Amino acid sequence: MSINKEELYKKLADSIVDMDEDLTIEISKQVIAEGLDAYDAIVNGLTVGMNQAGKLFDEEEYFVPELLICSDAMYAGLNILKPHIKVGENVTKRKAVIGVIEGDTHDIGKNLVKIMLETGGYDIIDLGRDVLPSTFVEKAKEEKAEFIVISTLMTTTMEGMNEVIEILVEENIRDDYKVLIGGGPISQGYADKIGADGYAENAAEAVKLANRLVVAYGNEIE
Amino acid sequence: MSLIQRNEELTSLERVGLTLQRKEVDRTPAIPLVCGASYRVLGTRYDKWSQDAEIATQSLLAAQELIGQDAFLLLVDLSVEAADFGQKLIFPKYSTAFPDFNNQYIQTPNEYEKIKKVNPRETKRMKQVIDMIKGLSKEKGNEVAIMGFIYGPLGVLSQIRGHKDLFVDLIKHPEEVLAAVDVITDVLVEYAIAQVEAGAHAVVVDPLYSSGTILRNTTWEKFEGPYLKRIADAIRTAGAGVGIHNCGDGVYFEEVIKWADPVAISVAYPAHGSKNWEEHAKTWGDKVITIGCSDPANTGLVFTTDEVLEDCKNQIELFKKHNAGFILSTGCEFPPNGNLLNAAAMVEASRRYGRTEN
Repeated sequence: MSINKEELYKKLADSIVDMDEDLTIEISKQVIAEGLDAYDAIVNGLTVGMNQAGKLFDEEEYFVPELLICSDAMYAGLNILKPHIKVGENVTKRKAVIGVIEGDTHDIGKNLVKIMLETGGYDIIDLGRDVLPSTFVEKAKEEKAEFIVISTLMTTTMEGMNEVIEILVEENIRDDYKVLIGGGPISQGYADKIGADGYAENAAEAVKLANRLVVAYGNEIE
Repeated sequence: MSLIQRNEELTSLERVGLTLQRKEVDRTPAIPLVCGASYRVLGTRYDKWSQDAEIATQSLLAAQELIGQDAFLLLVDLSVEAADFGQKLIFPKYSTAFPDFNNQYIQTPNEYEKIKKVNPRETKRMKQVIDMIKGLSKEKGNEVAIMGFIYGPLGVLSQIRGHKDLFVDLIKHPEEVLAAVDVITDVLVEYAIAQVEAGAHAVVVDPLYSSGTILRNTTWEKFEGPYLKRIADAIRTAGAGVGIHNCGDGVYFEEVIKWADPVAISVAYPAHGSKNWEEHAKTWGDKVITIGCSDPANTGLVFTTDEVLEDCKNQIELFKKHNAGFILSTGCEFPPNGNLLNAAAMVEASRRYGRTEN
């Protein structure tokens, strides 16, 4: 009996929403064993599931613990499927470097934004936490990223976000990157003050903001 | 007498106390939460301020002289209790101390039983806070309200386990988490009593995860509600008032009031279910005193002094319009590196716009 791939991808998506990492792994392995397209499974299975989880989060049906477990399942599936993506198949995605600014190690918010941006079609280079301002710029240049996404939960470390922008200005490359900032103490007022391109109040808003900036700069979202 | 304070009709302590009893006062109390920011007044360093009771006490006293706020809040950082349970911390020279997240004291769900009872009066950091309260009480206990501070038991545990791992454990290892929260609560009860005995007029507890952006309300209730009640009951039995602080978005006012029955709740955002501050004031104004709600980052790092005055005026007028209990404050700690003149402006706003006859 041939495998109904739509059914399988739906099961894969459901395993994410159901927070069943073991099932996600099992189905991901089945995708490979059946010779199905890994990228297809990521887009129509894992990403769909994570999007549904994100929607439940927006609707206050799921909260941070549930979303984290869903994302663990998603990453477990990605670990299995990604190595099997055919060369040339991976659609060029817009790249973003993301991290928590120097001096701060609170990263749940950053991780949620990363999940949402990845689910939203962005290729994310995660710099982790306690990241030097210069590292944001170096990595953005190295990875040819379009976005620099910076998070902090502390007012004492906010100035580091300004330093990232100052470095970009000093190197005369400010216009090459869109700088998005977020975190508990951050506000639109602060974003305007330091010249950031955008401020996102939460993870879901971060994706919408990134998409709006892409459109505003004259490119279509693929 | 403060350089900035003038001869008032009431002392700060009287003003805060009467406001909490919903009795008539001369003006709206103003309590910008100048805690760590006080390190800059006497020219010390943040890491020294965080670890020395005498330096911190003198800094807080000096800051209050300069700014004139009506209460001290003994929020040193959110890692005070965690350190005394065994969590290693990092103390930056000019920023807030935080757990060494590469060296969590609890690394697996099997290690929750490493949490053991300690006597807060004999620890390093909790004793420091108790000593700070003693010092402040001796100098200003008859004039300025002293609000102790305790991080809620679930928050303390998150500093020791790591936030992400704790949140996952709430679902995957709930019994282990509950056992640890129970032990931590016993210690926090003693810590609260010690703060009151040292001279705190009220103790503020911070159940940070009682917020719609973090946990489902029933999840929060399961893991912190009854434990918060134990701490709150102990504070009242010791003779002090109970306050709550939570700078998260969408705090579950109904649930927090159910378990803690506080006289006041300090917040940065409207309560869960309230679309804006007006709705918040209408819904909660007669049930609990709101301590808020200046945005700390904007107030300390973005606004001009005039903008602070205007922002505070709007808040005072809004809560007055709805006859809602209100104390003017920042929604969270005043930025340690923020403009202290803006903290003073908040107190000035209370004098200009918060008079009872206005």
